[in-house]
Amino acid sequence: MKWLYLHFPSLQLDSLLHQQDCHQACVLVDKNEVVQANPEARQLGIKIGTGLAQAALLCSQLKVLSYQAKQEHRLLVQLAQRLYQTSATLYLDPPQGLLLQTSDMLRLYKGLTPYWQKLQQPITERGLHYHYASAHSPLAAQVLARAGNDRLLTNQEEACELLKQLPIHRAGLDSKLCLQLERLGLNTLGQAQALPRSALGQRLGQTLVTYLQLLETSSAPSRPAYQPPERFRQRLELLYEIEHSTALRFPLKRLLTDLEAFLAPRQLRAAGLSLGLEYREHACQQVHIGCSDGEYRTEFWLALAMLRLEQLQLQAPIIAISLKTKGQMPWAPLSAQLFEPPGGKLTAGQLISRLQSKLGDHAVQQVYLQDDHRPERSFYQGPPQSHHQTQLATQYLRPSLLFTLPQALHHKPNHLWCILSGPERIQSGWWDNVSICRDYFIARNPLGQVCWLFRTPAEEWFLHGYFS
Amino acid sequence: MTLLQLKKERLVWQARQVAGPDHRRQSSFYPTLDTHLKGGWPHAGLIELACGPAGIGELRLLLPLLAQAPPRLQVWINPPAQLNGQALAQHGIDLSQTLLIRCQNPQQALWSAEQSLNSGCCSHLILWASTLTAPQAKRLQVSAKDNQALMFWLHPQAEPSASALPISARLSLAPLTTGLRLQVYKYQGQWPQHPCQVDMHDLWPSLTIATPTATPVQTPTLASTISVLPLKLR
Repeated sequence: MKWLYLHFPSLQLDSLLHQQDCHQACVLVDKNEVVQANPEARQLGIKIGTGLAQAALLCSQLKVLSYQAKQEHRLLVQLAQRLYQTSATLYLDPPQGLLLQTSDMLRLYKGLTPYWQKLQQPITERGLHYHYASAHSPLAAQVLARAGNDRLLTNQEEACELLKQLPIHRAGLDSKLCLQLERLGLNTLGQAQALPRSALGQRLGQTLVTYLQLLETSSAPSRPAYQPPERFRQRLELLYEIEHSTALRFPLKRLLTDLEAFLAPRQLRAAGLSLGLEYREHACQQVHIGCSDGEYRTEFWLALAMLRLEQLQLQAPIIAISLKTKGQMPWAPLSAQLFEPPGGKLTAGQLISRLQSKLGDHAVQQVYLQDDHRPERSFYQGPPQSHHQTQLATQYLRPSLLFTLPQALHHKPNHLWCILSGPERIQSGWWDNVSICRDYFIARNPLGQVCWLFRTPAEEWFLHGYFS
Repeated sequence: MTLLQLKKERLVWQARQVAGPDHRRQSSFYPTLDTHLKGGWPHAGLIELACGPAGIGELRLLLPLLAQAPPRLQVWINPPAQLNGQALAQHGIDLSQTLLIRCQNPQQALWSAEQSLNSGCCSHLILWASTLTAPQAKRLQVSAKDNQALMFWLHPQAEPSASALPISARLSLAPLTTGLRLQVYKYQGQWPQHPCQVDMHDLWPSLTIATPTATPVQTPTLASTISVLPLKLR
């Protein structure tokens, strides 16, 4: 059989309920009519098409959520993205269907059963209810799956036989056409198929003829097949509002697991993530989490994100979160050494990003040299690993600890101080209005500290650093 | 109470559980110190340096070691003033492997130290902190040992902390005109010894004076108290 059709009758509801353990009757409502209902709700007698008022009468504890076509389409695309790992050619059939071309994949998986098992796994992981059918043509598979056939057929005759027995009202034709056919006394699809096409066309219009033809044609649909996106981008709607950033852990883990599933087969690493926190009224808040070395593992990103979120004050309860990658790079071995170092759980870049997530970007710095004679400007602190060090160090002896602001000495160094070297005059900076003129001495004070002192032209003494 | 319970609650000490002292050493690049410490600093672990006021030469003691270290990260946490990149680069320290961390509170400093050690990409870590409790010191010691890193804890007291911390070494430093006087209070795998003088004149000729050539009658106790009269201020 060439085609397999998967139909998800309650895609949005299943996805919402799967995040949280919910054993309550729950329905999705569109224009005051129930469009999706969970098994608990169905047990109470709520059906698809039941009015909201009637449903509320049947169950007083009913949880009612609104149906969002856009969100359901997004979920379908996500599912297609996941199933693309298993099946090469697939077509989206919005709002709730996926069509898969099986003929190419059977040789890879050595038969329909192993292939089907492989396909089922991600679907059951997501807790989705589904109907399926395989058939010789895309439309036949779709009709059989929507009718709840749930069988993997292996030969065409069997599929044709099932189609013939299918009642007209379940064949996926529009209701007006169904009514016309039933008035003619045609109750199954087989009866309609037996009649001459030209006569049917004249009486009931071209739509039916095209439909019957499509049931038999095994060629691919005219629309383009699904192409996976280049970059990862996903949004997760929360069933309950989240007020504490720590409670974001579980929904976030789900997104990050999908991220890993996206990156790992492509041999990619994400250099940064942008986490969007969506509020009901406030504008969406973006949280950037970076790691210059790149990473794809869920645990790593989760630990990093939680450190960053701990520091965050939420403005209001969160209703949805979204995740996208900022910069993707090819995967490369992280350690160049084969024999050392022995630990090597993280790379330097990963350590830096972890420290920055907790302490803030400004707390983790690297020292860079600068071409200036003024001691306080001869180096600066900047973000780690931001650029390459090229500057050479000065030849003059400089203290290892330097005060940001020189400390005034109340007394001129007396005979208890021991001058070790000096004076060294530094006069510079006339071009940028921070000019200095200082005579530097190295001296040991009575405590034994080796100090870097300077004297200004006004005979004032300052302590500028220690030769620690 | 069974023997198993006693063992579980660590009430019974078994000699075979204790691993022998780690005899691997890394040279401090000060010959006198290397002989005194039987080969130099430990290969990995936590070392307490009680150095009194900043600026007596505590970093000069470590700079040659850091300059010769393998190309892994060197992390500096909460130095008492700005780290002068010029001075570090002069002594051959690779600034691209130097990470400077400033923390708001001691808990964050300890967290950063532990994360850095546990990352496995850090070879040396220098932490300025006033106190460490025994459990904190133990955690850092285990992290350092497990990840083959050497951590120095510098604090401004003149004497090492009174309680015996479960760490590799406890030393105190005192200034001398020739360099430093070093008292070893504890060094894993060695007996306590009398103080030792570290001569820094070879490496820092302009900051120290040469050790006077030993006069015939000189006891070790005298040697440690020798000080040179300060030069008159010009």
